[in-house]
Amino acid sequence: MIYLFQILNGIGLGMLYFLLAAGLSIIFGLLQFVNFAHGAFYLLGAYLTYDLVERGVSFWIALPVATLIVAIVAGAIEALLLHRIYKLPHTFHILVTVGIALVFQELAIIIWGPIGGSVPTPDGLGGVVMLGNFVYPQYRLFTIAVTAVLAGGLWWLLEGTRVGAIVRAGSESASNMALLGYNTMRINTAVFAFGAGLAGLAGALAAPIRGVEPFMGAEALSVAFVVVVIGGMGSYTGALAAGLMIGIIQSLMTTIWPQGAQLFIYIAMAAVIAIRPRGLLGRV
Amino acid sequence: MHILDTAKVQICLALATVLLLPFVLNSGILATEILIYAMVVAACNLLLGYTGLLSFGQGIFFGLGTYVAGVLTTRWAVPIPLVLLVAVVLGGLVATAVGWFSIRRQGVYFVMLTLAFAQMFYFLAYTFSDITGGDNGLLGVPRPQIMGHVLDGPWGYYSFVAIFFLVIFAVLLVVTRSTFGRTLLAIRENEGRAAAIGFPVRLFKIEAFAISGAITALGGALHALLIGIAPLESINYHTSEMILVMTIIGGSTSLFGSVMGAGFYLLLSDTLSVIWPRWLLLLGLVLVTVALFFQRGLWGLVERGWDAFAERRKGPQKEAGDV
Repeated sequence: MIYLFQILNGIGLGMLYFLLAAGLSIIFGLLQFVNFAHGAFYLLGAYLTYDLVERGVSFWIALPVATLIVAIVAGAIEALLLHRIYKLPHTFHILVTVGIALVFQELAIIIWGPIGGSVPTPDGLGGVVMLGNFVYPQYRLFTIAVTAVLAGGLWWLLEGTRVGAIVRAGSESASNMALLGYNTMRINTAVFAFGAGLAGLAGALAAPIRGVEPFMGAEALSVAFVVVVIGGMGSYTGALAAGLMIGIIQSLMTTIWPQGAQLFIYIAMAAVIAIRPRGLLGRV
Repeated sequence: MHILDTAKVQICLALATVLLLPFVLNSGILATEILIYAMVVAACNLLLGYTGLLSFGQGIFFGLGTYVAGVLTTRWAVPIPLVLLVAVVLGGLVATAVGWFSIRRQGVYFVMLTLAFAQMFYFLAYTFSDITGGDNGLLGVPRPQIMGHVLDGPWGYYSFVAIFFLVIFAVLLVVTRSTFGRTLLAIRENEGRAAAIGFPVRLFKIEAFAISGAITALGGALHALLIGIAPLESINYHTSEMILVMTIIGGSTSLFGSVMGAGFYLLLSDTLSVIWPRWLLLLGLVLVTVALFFQRGLWGLVERGWDAFAERRKGPQKEAGDV
């Protein structure tokens, strides 16, 4: 029964990982751009939520506001800086985005202090649900529900709408899209802002569960990488499967061997890579 | 190849660095740290500049080296030369394993894998705290002795490290200029073609990884002997990031660029971190600037400066010839 409980926990965690990785994957798919600042957007989303809630703003307003601000900030960074370096080798993508991540991390320490903090469980979801003999926090069920709806919505957006078709066509051939008269620079900015917004949302949703601290970005980034590597980059269902797998493994290990819970994320990754280098559902 | 990138000039520059640092810097610890990181960064450059492999996991081997030094000296009082040998061998072996996994994917995926492995080894060190000391690290790592004399002065240990630095630098010069090194360049330039000619590309990449890992672990062990502890920070994400950043800032087209990258980073951090604890924010801006305007790093600036100088000296004749 405790395992069932942890699996439910893992699904909640895994869905947050999925949001992170989906944002990273969408950005990479369209822009061929390695975004090492992705963890910084997660950090920003979490800290903005923390800040707004501290100021007495309701969590339900803080959540969308924080997500939106992250998307706007990311869009501005893309439009002002990143589009200049797309043509450079990956080394410089990494250098610039590592630089941006450092700036965000240090700004977080300057503004909010080095200690970090916790975000109270939002109003109306402070209670628990009884599952057999176990109590389960309502907020965690809420995150599972929200991310599940988002995952469905995202899939529909990418596969079933004109906007999604444009994004997918852009990742096949950006130059053809430009020839067809699409303003690819604006599409790039929008997609980057959207992908970063997903990371910001993941951070905002995670804040009441895991709190905030200045170095949360680096950890989120490496987990997102693991999910993408396991799932297969560019595979939406792969990211979902890998996110859930990692979340569940981590939660189960928390019961079995608490110190090794984080470690097993990476062991799982090494095992998948050894058996299937392209990832679970990767095409290339 | 640029005239400054010939083996003779490079080794002279390295030797000059070793001889000049004691006159320029007051702190023997800082000078020693520069030499240690210089060899670690040069090893990273072997991967980045010469093989085209961007490894975000060099901290794994650095941390491994510090733990080898920490465990062997504090638990069993193993003699230092043996400690360094074990660090080199273990560094090479672990790098072979990490390389074997990571080069199964190419390009960006490779980078992501190396970063994920860096996290994995960090959590290994964190989890098995009865070996590594966990958050506290391992304290009381001793300095080496030479003929009964402990190198506990600031400059005595500097000389010890300087010998290693010069030997490693020379080894890397030989490696990059050997047939093996040329083949690595061929792989960097066009992997598909190198494979088509018949080179076992994966084997070459793994070998480059092993050499790089062995040197990095040696650097880690020397660093633990320098500061007297093997801290958990030496194996974390930040160490990997720092080594990579030093490599790119220095410029990946020449080995001495790596020495400059290490020196620049450590001097910057030493100066700025006293003035402002949040100096990493400035570093972030420096990285963006380097990517936008100085893509060949500090070494690129040196080459450009040299060319301008040489141009001006022989300027008139050349112009006449052109017309």
